[in-house]
Amino acid sequence: MTTQLDLADIQGYILRVYGRSFPVSRHVFLNIRDTGSASSNKAGVACDPRNFVREITKYVTTAVEWGNGPNQIPKPQYTLNIAFTYQGLKALGVPRASLHGFSAEFASGMKQRRDILGDDGPSYPDNWDPIWKENRETRDEDVHIFIAISAPDDEMLEARYHWLTGLIGKYQAWVKILGGHRGDNGELLDYQDTRPVRENGQYTAKEHFGYTDGIGDPVFEGNPKNQMNVQGRGKQMADGSWQPLATGEFLLGHIDEAHEYPPAPLPTLLARNGTYMVYRKLHQNVATFEAYLEEHGKKYSGGKELLAAKFVGRWRDNGAPLVKAPDIESKAWFDSQLAAAWQRGDYDTCDRMLSHFTYDDDMSGAKCPFSAHIRRVNPRASLQMIKGEKPGSMISNKDAFDTPGSLANRRRILRRGSTYGEVTDRSSDQGNHGVIIMAINADIARQFEFVQQQWINYGNDFQAGSDREILLGNHGAGGERFTSKAVLPVEPDSDEVPYFLTRIPRFVETRGGDYFFVPGMTALYMIAHGVIDPT
Amino acid sequence: MNTNVSGNAYVLTALCPVRNDCTEDGVAYANKVRDLLQEWNFEQNSPMAKVPGTYLCRFFVLDDVLTESLPTGSALDVVRDLSPYVTNAMRQHAMPRNDRLKSRYLVFTATFHGGPAADLDGYLRGMWQVIGDRIREVWCYCYGFNQVNDADTFIRYIKSCQLSAALFFNGSNDETLEAQLKGLYLKQELSRFAGENQGLSPVELRKNFAAFLERVAPADLSGPMWTPGQYRL
Repeated sequence: MTTQLDLADIQGYILRVYGRSFPVSRHVFLNIRDTGSASSNKAGVACDPRNFVREITKYVTTAVEWGNGPNQIPKPQYTLNIAFTYQGLKALGVPRASLHGFSAEFASGMKQRRDILGDDGPSYPDNWDPIWKENRETRDEDVHIFIAISAPDDEMLEARYHWLTGLIGKYQAWVKILGGHRGDNGELLDYQDTRPVRENGQYTAKEHFGYTDGIGDPVFEGNPKNQMNVQGRGKQMADGSWQPLATGEFLLGHIDEAHEYPPAPLPTLLARNGTYMVYRKLHQNVATFEAYLEEHGKKYSGGKELLAAKFVGRWRDNGAPLVKAPDIESKAWFDSQLAAAWQRGDYDTCDRMLSHFTYDDDMSGAKCPFSAHIRRVNPRASLQMIKGEKPGSMISNKDAFDTPGSLANRRRILRRGSTYGEVTDRSSDQGNHGVIIMAINADIARQFEFVQQQWINYGNDFQAGSDREILLGNHGAGGERFTSKAVLPVEPDSDEVPYFLTRIPRFVETRGGDYFFVPGMTALYMIAHGVIDPT
Repeated sequence: MNTNVSGNAYVLTALCPVRNDCTEDGVAYANKVRDLLQEWNFEQNSPMAKVPGTYLCRFFVLDDVLTESLPTGSALDVVRDLSPYVTNAMRQHAMPRNDRLKSRYLVFTATFHGGPAADLDGYLRGMWQVIGDRIREVWCYCYGFNQVNDADTFIRYIKSCQLSAALFFNGSNDETLEAQLKGLYLKQELSRFAGENQGLSPVELRKNFAAFLERVAPADLSGPMWTPGQYRL
């Protein structure tokens, strides 16, 4: 069975990563003014905030393919996408019976879910950017609507932003822009920009710690963009082959990995081809990271770069996975192969080299540690492990489940978003720079929150006790007495000793965010026209 | 074979019927029991942490059994349904009986170190000796508990309520509680030692390890270790 997705009904950024064509983005968040007129679900009210949504809907970028062929449209000059918080849907008059169908965590919002997400200490909502700190406190400061514009360059971005503010101005009796995003120098801005980190004036695929980012996004059924690269990015089957994940893991109204429809609001049309987005602003403590890496890089026998790779499971320069390139020698060979493929323009091979792997030959974590970022957020088949005969060894117990990925397939997340801010002083944690996570999933609690709570901030599933994920974990939550650690294991029959990363500081801090519903185009139209009938 | 025993671990499951009555201010006894047990959550630690040998225990009030939906029909049922000779009354009579409990129950389940002799009496005696007052405070609302006035009658009472069930807590091993708590303590301290001492010369390492052993006293079960009921390291 091959799912044919209705691309014209799906918002573009769910299926496509805009970054390559449209590297710069601006996120604008709106509040719907409390005028009371949208509280009824009556269609056709002349002056009502839905008119704004109706207007902006005309400009929303869908997932229709770009090109000159059949069912294709010319590549746009910019993209625009929209999403709503629970409060936003309420303010737009979505009927109560439909609102009740949205998930509890979506209704609660990110701030209320802070304990589950581990947003404590410096990540506690009191320390978030003002827009997020004040969100969900009073009706007038609630974030309701998210609008993202992506453009090929700053000039186009500014032009479209100018146009957007004009449009919002036209409806200013009904909607207002919420400011309060901390900018590079602490100034408060009316928008959140994202742009790739630059090296020598050129955009790169790296984030502020120097890691190559955005490799290995999940592949799911029906997405025409990436069916070629299912190996390592889809789900692994019992015979070791790979298949795309079920569409319903990422889009509501489609069958998911449990062969059922993910929970969604009624009417069906409101949910179909929509999904949930986790928007999360994470600040990166660059100085803390550099100092820690420097300190332990001197002690660690493999040296600083290998240590940096151990944090994530990939080498910083080109993202080479440690399971394929566990040391300097194998890395050199990998690099030459990757460079050759890149030079011949064979990007599929490049993608496979970076994404097509399992942990089958690394069950004990000697190559890619259990607490490394990529092993934690996408453990592939590696969770099905039991203790081996040699002390400290783990072996695969694949027969325990139907397929190797049974424990991971329902925890996958599409990653959109990009880096923000510039690091001007690598010896300081100050400033505002980091990553904007835009995680797309059909069930926030089952997918994003589970990964965050159980795999990033806890290590039990990885036989790693309460060790957190090295890079993103909420280290330091236990104070001085209960410091954070992680272990870099070695081969069980090796003469080497494991390395202990001790007193891990918090490298990444939450600066805000919320949960959004990204409607399909049909649903967006229904929201804009107030014609949702849940009965 | 005794299904309540696995190695040195013993699992006790007791269902004590709560009297169908209410307090002077009109609170059903079963609700009173539930309230009292929930109050235990607000104490520094459960009184049960004081009971020697307890690996894990659980209290709850069972109001009734849950009704599950009727089983789906077999081929024979389909034939009966289609047969005009089977009356509705006959069909209903053939339905599975709907079980109900005769009272509400205080359910007490505990996994503890029973030793080779599976010593339930010893465990209950220890429980009575250490927290007898707290037991009375809760159990006094149960049928027949007015017969209990010392450890022996408490043991007899619980045994009369005992159910053969194997609700084991899987997170413990065969050792005594003290040995397990010491083991957890040692594991944590050793991991801390490894982190703090990595990279030292063998001489320094040996010296520090000797000091470590002296401090943690691995063989001394009265020495430093986790305390029962401790949930934070």
